[in-house]
Order: sequence, then C-alpha cells, then structure tokens
Amino acid sequence: MAVFNLKIVTPHGVHFQGEASSITVRGVTGDLSVLPGHINMVTALGTGKASVTADGEKRTAACSSGVLSVLKNEVTVLASTFEWKEEIDLERAKENLARYKEELKKATDKKDIEMAKIRVQRELVREAVKTEK
Amino acid sequence: MASGSMKEIKLRIKSVESTMQITKAMELVASSKLRKAREKVEKARPYFLELHETLSDIVAANTDFSSEYLVQRPVKKSGYVLIAGDRGLAGGYNNNMFKYFTEHSEGKNVCVIPVGKKAVEFCKRRNIEIVTDRYAQVEDITTADCSDIGGVMAGLFAEGKIDEFFIGYTTFVSMLSQSPEMVQVLPIVSIENNGEKKKQSAIEYDPGAEALFDMIVPIYVSGMTYGAVTESWASELAARRTAMDAASKNAKEIVANLSLEYNRARQAAITQEITEIVAGAGEA
Repeated sequence: MAVFNLKIVTPHGVHFQGEASSITVRGVTGDLSVLPGHINMVTALGTGKASVTADGEKRTAACSSGVLSVLKNEVTVLASTFEWKEEIDLERAKENLARYKEELKKATDKKDIEMAKIRVQRELVREAVKTEK
Repeated sequence: MASGSMKEIKLRIKSVESTMQITKAMELVASSKLRKAREKVEKARPYFLELHETLSDIVAANTDFSSEYLVQRPVKKSGYVLIAGDRGLAGGYNNNMFKYFTEHSEGKNVCVIPVGKKAVEFCKRRNIEIVTDRYAQVEDITTADCSDIGGVMAGLFAEGKIDEFFIGYTTFVSMLSQSPEMVQVLPIVSIENNGEKKKQSAIEYDPGAEALFDMIVPIYVSGMTYGAVTESWASELAARRTAMDAASKNAKEIVANLSLEYNRARQAAITQEITEIVAGAGEA
C-alpha cells in the first residue's frame, strides 16, 4: 500500500514521525484528507478532529490551529495543540469547558469574546474526540 | 561579659545556618525545575524551525508577494512583550531585563504586554502603558496563553495601532550566563522576499498565498512568544540557582568565621577563670 512520510510537530514536541497512508484534518475551509501522491500544498488548520491511518490502524486526535504542508510526498502538520485520543484528559477538558463558557458569558470586549470562543471550541473538540466510539 | 558575647555569637550562627538551609533548598528546587524547563525548550525548537521554513517558502515562491506583516511603517508607537520572573532572589535576572528594556525603548512611545509578576509590577511602577496584565504568571504559562498573546500582537499590528513589536526575553547562554535580548517580531524582518524565485515545484495554497500567509503570521508570532517564554523561564531558574549557590557559600563562610570567634571567646573565658582560681589559691 502506498504511503507518505508524516510528521506531526507541536511546541510540546514531535507527536508522530513515520509512514502513514492517510490523514484527515479540519482545515480553515473545511475537512480535508491527504492521501499518498497528493499535489504540493500548504493550508491553514482550524480546530477539529484529526485522524491518521498508519500501519492499517486508524487513530484519532484533537488538533487546533496550525499549518499543514505537503511537499514531495512529505506531509508536515504544525499545530499549536495535538493530542491523541488516549492522551486526552476528559475531566480536565470538562472543567475547562465550564470555565471558558463562563468566561464567554462575561466577555464584553470583541476580542475577548473571540478568544473565549476559540477556547470553548478547543475543549468541545477534545470532549468529542475522547467520547467518540 | 565573655559569656554574654558567646551567647550572641551562638545566636548569630544559628540564624545564619537557618538562612543557609533556605538558600540550599531554593537552589535544589531551582535545579530540578531547570531540568524540566530545558527539556521544554528543546521540545519547542523543531516546531519553530519548521514554521519558519514554511513561511519562508511561501514568500520565496512568489515574486509579487506582499503582506502588511512584512511592511515597515513609520513608527508612531512601539509594542513590547516583556518577559521577567514571578519572584526575585534570582541575582540580576529581573533587573538586567528591565535595564535592557529601558535602554531599548528610550524616547519611544511604548506600550507593553508584561509576562511575569515582576514585569507587571515594573510597568505599573514606571507608569508604562499596559495592554493586558493577564499573564502575571510565567511559570505555568501554556501554549494557549501564548497563542492569545500572538493573536493580540498580530491584531494590534494589523489594525495599525502599533507599528512594531519586540519581545524582550533572556537567552540561556549557559548554566552560568544568561543575557537579556530583544527580537523584533513584527513587521517580520527575518523573512525576506528578495525577488528571486526559488526553484521548486508548484505549490497549491489554500486559500491563496497571501491570505494563508496572513493566517499563519499570528501562529508564527505565538510560536516565537512561546519559545521566548520557555527560554526565559529556564534562564530565570539558572540565575536563581547560581544566586542561591553563592548565597549558600557565603553563609558557610560566615558560619566558619563565627565559629572561630566563638571558640576564641570560649577559650578566653576558660583562661580567665583559671587565672582567677590560681590567683585566689595563691592568696590563701
């Protein structure tokens, strides 16, 4: 089966490095999948679920804001956060979600509202990825 | 009289010894935290390098590329992110940063995003305009916080409220030496479009090269902020470790000197007592 080299990097370290056969992420313009032999491409990532198929095994993760680039069959994902399903702390996500929702309610400044929305979205994605069967 | 001064010396030895215990404990705490902090710095590095490369590639692949984030405007107002510690007792760590910042920002119309309690206090004391004092805790600052800071910076720059942005942080040169540093983050000067198209195969940009570039810039700025914060935190711990090590050594020296003094006083008291007894026996 055809594969490509995938590298997933965040400020917390390298989360994946090796061969994969497909990756699906939430881009700014919608969901997109990259398969082997994809044209060279660079795009920005939104906050959402990401799934990677490597060695015939599909793994899901919560991913937020970053860049995906495809260059000569080398795919690089640079995200500000990337957590595999098994790494997500559901309790913490729920706690944060409640707190950020509260912040969102209190926020009056346009910028604060924007920030709070992003935070809420991030926690919602975490929760969704973790609880997904 | 002799026994009185002996008691005093004993008390001083005790107080210095307890100070030494504290400085030693602080040194140990700083050492163990430092190890973790340096790991964090190492882990963040590949992310940042890749990000820089991606941005450079976008600029290099387009000859007619323009983005407001690359344009140098006449500077009416300068913004700074000032990173210092939450606590003192780290030698000259905080002061060096503030001194450097004062020199760098002299004569400019500035506003500051302080990171760390000491930085917030410094700005309030000097009546420097503060954008937000949300980030008064440098120890557990997260990537989410840094991406907020990056977003704020990019936003203020894009709105034209601030014409240049610097990050003031402390570089970790070695365990024994850390030096304050200023880097310009906006407009981006480290990436240049020299009009020469790099030879590489066509790349598809979604959505469009310029729109994408403008989307990545806040992420890039956040990455830079995170890098600067982690490095400063490691520097702070190293500075504290060195300072506490010096303090423990000084305390040890004081204890040695005081013990010598104490023994001398004790000896003098004994000698005097013997002289008195002998004199008294001679008289009888």
